[in-house]
Amino acid sequence: MDYQTARGGWCTMIEREDLEPPQEIQWCPGCGNFGILRALKQAVMELSNSKHEFFLVSGIGQSGKTPHFINLNGFHTLHGRAIPVATGAHVANTDLKVIVHGGDGDLLGEGLGHLMHAARRNVNITCLLHNNGVYGLTKGQYSPTSPHGFVSKTSPPPTGVPMDPVNPLGVALIGGATFVARGFAGDIKQLTELIVDAVKHPGFALVELMQPCVVFNPKWGWDFFRERVYKLEDDYDNKSKTAALEKSFEFGDRIPTGVFYKQEKTHFVQELQLPEGRLRDHTNDREEIQNIIDEMLV
Amino acid sequence: MDLSFNIGGAAGQGINTIGDLVAQVFVKNGLYTFTIKDYMSRVRGGYNFTQIRVSDEHVHAPVHGVDVIIALTKDAIINQRDRLVEGGVIIFDESLGFEECERCHLPLPLEETAEEVGGNVRMMNAAALGALLSVLKMPISLAENALADIFGDKGESVVEGNVKVARTMYEEVKGELAQRCDHDFSSVEKGPSEDRLLVTGNQAIALGAMAANLKWISAYPMSPSTSLFQFIIQNSRRLQIGGLQTEDEIAGLNMALGASHTGARSMVTTSGGGFSLMVEAVGLAGMAEIPIVIYNAQRPGPSTGLPTRTEQGDLLFMLHSSQGEFPRIMIAPKDPLEAYYLTKDAFRLADKFQVPVMVLGDQHLAEFTMNIPRIEIGEVDMDRGKLAEKPDKPYKRFKVTDDGVSPRAFPGDEEVVVAASGNTHNEFGHISEDPDNRNAMVEKRLAKLPWILDELEEPKVYGDKKADYTLLTWGSTWGAAYEAMQRLSQDGISINQLHFAYLYPLKTETLKEIWEKAKKLISVEQNATSQFAKLVRMESGLSVDEEINKYDGRPMTPEWIIKQLEEVGVQ
Repeated sequence: MDYQTARGGWCTMIEREDLEPPQEIQWCPGCGNFGILRALKQAVMELSNSKHEFFLVSGIGQSGKTPHFINLNGFHTLHGRAIPVATGAHVANTDLKVIVHGGDGDLLGEGLGHLMHAARRNVNITCLLHNNGVYGLTKGQYSPTSPHGFVSKTSPPPTGVPMDPVNPLGVALIGGATFVARGFAGDIKQLTELIVDAVKHPGFALVELMQPCVVFNPKWGWDFFRERVYKLEDDYDNKSKTAALEKSFEFGDRIPTGVFYKQEKTHFVQELQLPEGRLRDHTNDREEIQNIIDEMLV
Repeated sequence: MDLSFNIGGAAGQGINTIGDLVAQVFVKNGLYTFTIKDYMSRVRGGYNFTQIRVSDEHVHAPVHGVDVIIALTKDAIINQRDRLVEGGVIIFDESLGFEECERCHLPLPLEETAEEVGGNVRMMNAAALGALLSVLKMPISLAENALADIFGDKGESVVEGNVKVARTMYEEVKGELAQRCDHDFSSVEKGPSEDRLLVTGNQAIALGAMAANLKWISAYPMSPSTSLFQFIIQNSRRLQIGGLQTEDEIAGLNMALGASHTGARSMVTTSGGGFSLMVEAVGLAGMAEIPIVIYNAQRPGPSTGLPTRTEQGDLLFMLHSSQGEFPRIMIAPKDPLEAYYLTKDAFRLADKFQVPVMVLGDQHLAEFTMNIPRIEIGEVDMDRGKLAEKPDKPYKRFKVTDDGVSPRAFPGDEEVVVAASGNTHNEFGHISEDPDNRNAMVEKRLAKLPWILDELEEPKVYGDKKADYTLLTWGSTWGAAYEAMQRLSQDGISINQLHFAYLYPLKTETLKEIWEKAKKLISVEQNATSQFAKLVRMESGLSVDEEINKYDGRPMTPEWIIKQLEEVGVQ
């Protein structure tokens, strides 16, 4: 089916084969990332954008490899720095649907400050946080979301991890994100809906994706989540930030999923008053530069 | 005519205002000025001074010897009086109660006159100006027109008040008091200024960036780069340049890389400590071949060092910044006019070769003010280098080419998928650990170097090409070294100056030519370890004979260089 693109061209519906991985997928068998990739593909097909309008920016780690496993514009950047890179890309071309992929170490360790500030700016990008509670690529150290007492290669018994985990949804809410949600890699249908809604949302959207790492964090296996996740009740009010914050601390025997918070307000580029059209195509007015110079004449 | 004034006092006393006023008065009357601000890293108090040189010819550096000191505190008198030249004078407010007065001391009722004649203590600036013109026996008319221009916006009564205050002080000093100073410039008459822009290096760099079609700037404030960032941000709405003060320097550079990768010409501004934080992203620019302009207004380090002082201490750090090997371009402007053109060129080179381009300024270049001719903006530079007009399908962002530069498409271009990675990648931008691919990609990136070298300008030789002695300089030390070289040449010494604006990759042809002719090569650097001389040795195998270094954080003066040269046997 043909439809018109943001720049006036015509585009054909994205088919699954358009997204075939450009290279062999290197995730371990049983990895939660497979479910996330499936949901991402499904979401991309459901969103009515043409293929060139998507731009995936990732950090480091297994989640960081996502852009190599789907045939879309992608930039696999540095550990923790995907959000600033994505912000710059979004500013230069607001037609792009910029989607960040980062792990719990990436976005909540090295990149925690950037996450908070992007949320505060309400940058119109989508941030998909792959949370497996452990460092996978470096093979088994604790992560910012590992539970207190978690035994890992850098948190030996008897203490295990000597501190409480970061609350990703709470951090995003306090930062000022205007769309905050959680999904589970084992529920592709819900995850797809969450990604579609997050990309459509005009502002900073954080979606935490519970993603089992069957090798280094077997405690958080498929069954662990299947037994605990539940969808937020129908009467849950996702307009209330305090309710969302309270809900974000519920992570134990029961793990809520769905949209915790959703609110619209002006987002970053609207505040910047950039030129009509794409910044990347804009030319500085040379007469205006000459005026600036001439105003400096003594 | 070559005069120098120092205006000294505590931070917050309005030294800069008097300095700007004095400089503008002379510039408006067709003279050339050179101004530096010497200040401490504090908001109020302490001891700061502004130096203004005035001449009927271009001047390029601060000097040690001072003709007139205007002191607003006792400290300013004590700190400066040893620099006074014979026949010079120190003007200060009589309320300071400085008692051990010598002939050259000129206590005056500056504040009182401002209050009583002008009705506003702030007109003390005009009082000082009147006194200054009087001791130099210059016509008061110099001040009258200029004050009208400068304060015209504030209304007629302000102009009149200032003129009255200046004239009162002028008359009071005239005669006996003025005789304390031997200078007599009563005959100095110049027309209105022809070279009318009075700018700092930071302002000129900002203008160069605007003319190069800068579209995005993200930075974190850090002295002495901040004024450049602020200047662009202040004008960003008029030119529709996107800009953001980021949470840190790490975000600053990464955000600029995101914008540049997506097609907007981008830059970051910082100083050494901020650049330290950016280093990781410099490597990302190298690996993903993203054009970017990085401005470092160097200041003395390591760590926080001397925040408001000057040094050329980051050259080798920037040359080697980031792990791994990849090409980069390093440029160091000598003065504001050159800073404008080199900054424009920095953006062109960044796009042409898809590499990081580092512009090395320093606090001295960033903040000294001099007159330059009005800049004609001409066409805004839209040359983006090699673009993928008819891209391969699938598109190869990192296609191997003879010159190492791959045609660029941007994420968002229709019918193209653009992939990139900070990991070693194949031509498509996807991760590859294949050893042959690794070699091909390393070689592709490094293949740019000879082409870059072809594009850069040779260093300039000032003075007699065949001179016995050669001063080797780079960046902002040019001015003091140039004046030292000129003074020595006038004294009959066979000396020239070899100056580099493009530092890396290093052009060696002129260098070798001069090397063969000179009996002694002397590097002059604002650092302790002669970093540029090291770079020269590394790239050419040639060594300097003598090294002159200044690292106290204060800019060089011609006198200081001449003294150092005497010590190494130049006479």
